[in-house]
Amino acid sequence: MCTWVQVSAAAVVSLTLAGTAASTDQAKTAPKTYVISMQIVGFDPPELNVKPGDRVTWVNKDLFPHTATADDKAFDSQSVAPAGNWTFVAGKTGAHSYICTFHPTMKGTIKVQ
Amino acid sequence: MKINHAALGGLLALVFAVPSAYAAGPTDPQIASIVVTANQVDIDAGKLALTKAASADVKKFAQLMITDHTGVNKAAVELVTKLQVTPESNPTSQSLQKGGDDNLAALKKQSGKAFDKAYVDHEVAYHQAVIDAVDTTLIPSAQNAELKALLVKVRPAFIAHLDHAKKLQGELGK
Repeated sequence: MCTWVQVSAAAVVSLTLAGTAASTDQAKTAPKTYVISMQIVGFDPPELNVKPGDRVTWVNKDLFPHTATADDKAFDSQSVAPAGNWTFVAGKTGAHSYICTFHPTMKGTIKVQ
Repeated sequence: MKINHAALGGLLALVFAVPSAYAAGPTDPQIASIVVTANQVDIDAGKLALTKAASADVKKFAQLMITDHTGVNKAAVELVTKLQVTPESNPTSQSLQKGGDDNLAALKKQSGKAFDKAYVDHEVAYHQAVIDAVDTTLIPSAQNAELKALLVKVRPAFIAHLDHAKKLQGELGK
């Protein structure tokens, strides 16, 4: 038969373990921020894997405007001025191909997984 | 008016050729003047195309030329102001201006699809000539590191514009 002390000790250990697991999970799932540079030679990096809740910030390093516009309309920065930036918070999982509508040779992909 | 592409390209190459007056290459103040003039000439052609082009794609390209070359010129003017360099008019910048004025005069006589073709053909030849000049004359001659860096930075934009213009040229030819 199990005594109250034994049960209580087991519960404390269990709670402690649960607390450790929770903080580890939190560290694993804490949203991250990624930066992509916009230049006419291309988006850098051109491909990025993120998790739901992560932030992706595009920074325009050129002398003229660019956009980051998803083919599936998941996001559209509209015109980002030189030295300007725009941030997208990743939502549902999926792969989003995107271009600069002003310079369609600029292509990239964001994979939310 | 029918435009001979090969002749147009040759003419533009001559405009950007280094005259014997500065056989050693243009100075930084002369390069500054060439850069500002080359951009302004294309901005002016784009403004005319916005009002006269028949194709929506050509109008979109014209707007892009205005936006991008205005951005490059803004950066160029800011840099020369910071460097206290006064752009110095020279045979190349003068030829560029005259070539731009002649192009506008020729384009004004065109309309509809003929205008679109003439404008885009000129954009192809013009950007190729600018890229050649940047590679063979302007970057090698630039003395100031920041001026040289600006030329290196804007070169990919001219390549992208050339590719875009060639794609349009192919579509208009169909």
